[in-house]
Amino acid sequence: MAKHVHDTGCDEYNSLTRRSFVGTAAGILAAASSLPAWLPKVVLAQSASTRDIIVSVFMRGGADGLSMVYPFTDTNYYTGRPSIAIPRPDSNTANRGVALNGQFAISNAMSSLVPAFQAGNLLVVHGAGLVYNTRSHFDAQKFIEVGKAQDPNLVTGWLGRHLATSTPMRSTAPLRALGLSQGLQRTLVGAPKTLPVPSPEGFGLGGSTATRAERSAFLRADYAEVDTSIGAPALDALNTVSLLNAINFSGYAPSGGAVYPNSGFGRGMRSAAALIKADIGLEAIQLDVGGWDTHSGQAPIATNGNMARTMTDLATSLAAFHADVLTGGVSYNVTVVVLSEFGRNVRENGSQGTDHGRGSCMFVMGPGIAGGRVLTNNWVPLARENLEAGQDLKVTIDHRDILSEIVSRRLGNTNLGVIFPSYVPTVRGVTL
Amino acid sequence: MGVTLEHDDVHGAEAVPTEMAPSVMSTVSSRRKFFVAAAAAAGVLAPREAKAQSIRRAKRKLPEPVRGVSLALAQAAAPPDTQLTVWRDPVARLVRRATLGITKDELARAQKLGFAKYLDEQLKPSSIDDREVAAFLATNYTSLSMTPDALYGADQNKIIAEIQEATLYRAAFSKRQLFERMVEFWSDHFNIDRDKVGYLKITDDRDVVRKHALGRYPAMLKASAHSAAMMAYLDQTSSRRGNINENYGREIMELHSLGVDGGYTQQDVNELARTLTGWTASGRGIFTYDAQIHDFGPKSVLGKTIPATLQGTGLAGKSEADGVIDMLALHPKTARYIATKMTKFLLQYDPTDAMVSAVEAEFNKTKGDIPSMIRVILTEETLVNAPPKYKRPFHWAVSATRALGPTVTSVAVVRNVLDNMGQSLFAWDTPDGYPDKMEFWSGLVLARWNAATSLVGQTGAAFNFNVTPFVGATAEAGADLIIAQLFGGEAPVSLKTRLADYLRPSPTNTARVREAVSLALSSSQFQWY
Repeated sequence: MAKHVHDTGCDEYNSLTRRSFVGTAAGILAAASSLPAWLPKVVLAQSASTRDIIVSVFMRGGADGLSMVYPFTDTNYYTGRPSIAIPRPDSNTANRGVALNGQFAISNAMSSLVPAFQAGNLLVVHGAGLVYNTRSHFDAQKFIEVGKAQDPNLVTGWLGRHLATSTPMRSTAPLRALGLSQGLQRTLVGAPKTLPVPSPEGFGLGGSTATRAERSAFLRADYAEVDTSIGAPALDALNTVSLLNAINFSGYAPSGGAVYPNSGFGRGMRSAAALIKADIGLEAIQLDVGGWDTHSGQAPIATNGNMARTMTDLATSLAAFHADVLTGGVSYNVTVVVLSEFGRNVRENGSQGTDHGRGSCMFVMGPGIAGGRVLTNNWVPLARENLEAGQDLKVTIDHRDILSEIVSRRLGNTNLGVIFPSYVPTVRGVTL
Repeated sequence: MGVTLEHDDVHGAEAVPTEMAPSVMSTVSSRRKFFVAAAAAAGVLAPREAKAQSIRRAKRKLPEPVRGVSLALAQAAAPPDTQLTVWRDPVARLVRRATLGITKDELARAQKLGFAKYLDEQLKPSSIDDREVAAFLATNYTSLSMTPDALYGADQNKIIAEIQEATLYRAAFSKRQLFERMVEFWSDHFNIDRDKVGYLKITDDRDVVRKHALGRYPAMLKASAHSAAMMAYLDQTSSRRGNINENYGREIMELHSLGVDGGYTQQDVNELARTLTGWTASGRGIFTYDAQIHDFGPKSVLGKTIPATLQGTGLAGKSEADGVIDMLALHPKTARYIATKMTKFLLQYDPTDAMVSAVEAEFNKTKGDIPSMIRVILTEETLVNAPPKYKRPFHWAVSATRALGPTVTSVAVVRNVLDNMGQSLFAWDTPDGYPDKMEFWSGLVLARWNAATSLVGQTGAAFNFNVTPFVGATAEAGADLIIAQLFGGEAPVSLKTRLADYLRPSPTNTARVREAVSLALSSSQFQWY
């Protein structure tokens, strides 16, 4: 089990490893006379907080949980999916999955996560999702991100409200959260000091690099003299640019032998790792990974199959993050949570795909997570009579149960009534 | 990033009948475009609650309470009143409010006509020769005039880009500027998300919003209620006797007419939804009344009793909802709500009770004549006292385009920068429309700065910004040229000094001048109107 970095006393080590890619920030510090007030006085110092940083991942499109982690002892699974069921782990079939316990196996495409599972850092939650019955991507994503179904007056996201109702982990941080996205994801809406950052290494003023500093100074002077209603956010943006530009993302060297895939999601997780290790006071990072709407040609088995590739990308990115950030000589107080808007039909359709369903699986990863388990609630064989509307894995665990426990136990925020309004969560034992 | 239509992806509760339009699921990133805005540092985002706010009393703006967000976290303040001293010319003030961006030429024309005549002209768009724009539209955006059948068969990404670019082109280059301002207003008031209804947005834009933007409100409400796009967007298409969907029944009262404080009850919502059963869409997007699914039982909406009738055919059942909509259109609460919203949009965030009452009275007197109400809102007296408003990204992008005065064969670049700034057109998913609140947008200023850089750097044939008119012999002369074109000649001395300082190293170097223009577009001053 990984140790929390703040308990290790390895500050020197941390500082050294960080310095290699926070060089410019150190340079800024050296010029102490011109130190802007927003910059933490000692960038490389440890945060006093022991709250976790959260990395939240949304699998957009309705991820088929039964292709990711599947009940290999259930014959209904195989009869319902003649062409797309993942072979039993105890078979000799190519691309068979890996057993996680006596009942569930993880698909071959995601087997890179087995070490994290075995280390006790990865929890699989199955039959999880939105209790409200909708099969619309549009509604289901919204309701999950907002944290409540069918409330037209609630427009902020659950993670946004967490940040809005907690004190900053570092009061001087110019940026508390970011969405690695062109636009801020709804999950983060309402969060203070939060920006959408499509690519942290490219975040900044465009135009000629030769005049960038001069133009930046022009804008700083201009916005400094106007009303704070527009002045403050503009100065925050300039400060965030300085902050992110001080981090050498391209020179970032993952530890633990981690290799991130060169995919959108892989690069995102790599950036997330760099941001966390840069220790700039960031508390939440939201990422998205798409490609899950597998109505036809799902192909979760063969290594070059459609969904197999998507799962491989997801799993290897998460596994790299695990090796880089959550294990090894230094690990960080981080919880990763991965979810989707819904799962898919238990039985495959006429196009070797699956249509929109209900329950799916979630993944929770971190040193503070009671991992190494597949968490279920009243799991029953996937016989037709046990399925919702005769076709779907029922939602037996409300996703908010999982998120609530993360928020209260790992993020140190007890304002659950605000974060998940009108919901009383059931404790599922997600955290240590 | 365009819209992706999934023709085979229609499931149970989706709004659009399967035999009709494709259900639309956006690509992930286009779906998220509309949350960009939420980056506002104050973290205060309450478009829906905002409707419930009555007129502000305190001068200093407090953010609207958001459920679960502490007020202490929000730091939004009133817009600065510095412009009140800088902006001296009442005609220039009218131009700022009545157009999507003041320019030197527009100001000169308005000054020549005078306040009253300029406003008269703008309120009668048909009196303004706009043939050049019409010709450009007819050539470049052929989908604008297509039938739903033709739209259904067209390249969906292309036609969505066309409606977005046509909207930007008209906003930037049409001489009917006040009309375009009102198109912007009503597009939010009768918001429709193209990610949900796809090409049907094109028909609604044409047959509802643009047809009535400077017409009469009751006709517009009625047209909206007969729009297949609206039926699909607010799930009226899935409402039927015995299994009603309340969405449209609620929103036509809460958002389109009475307002959230309009005094209706949940019972009224339910009864109106029953009354509306049978109002739906068919084919590829034709409004239809289907008597087969109408609820002929007795109903009571807002105190108006609708007796039970025998299950009928024809349009007998439809007339029940027609009657309710007629009542909503001229309801006293509607007059107040529309007057308040129009005054906030056109004039100021926090109009006084007296201002709104005057507009409300005009609504009642003229039975919802939109130009008559605007005459009450935009007067020399009100404009002289109105604090500046913060441009939304659409307004910013259009005003920047107008200020640059490019020759264009395409405004795709404007569409792109607008997407990056967080106001991708017709992509707000909830029916309340993009918020018109400073604190919602002010956190996204970096995207504006980069948009400015992008626009001033356009030298291709598609969008050619000719910098020559901005090049002055001296740094001061250059700064004056920029201020004349971008700010109607009225800007703080500090901005002029700063621009001149920026130009001074090489005032006639065009790259330098382009940067100075970009900085002027990026400055706090250009964010106001």
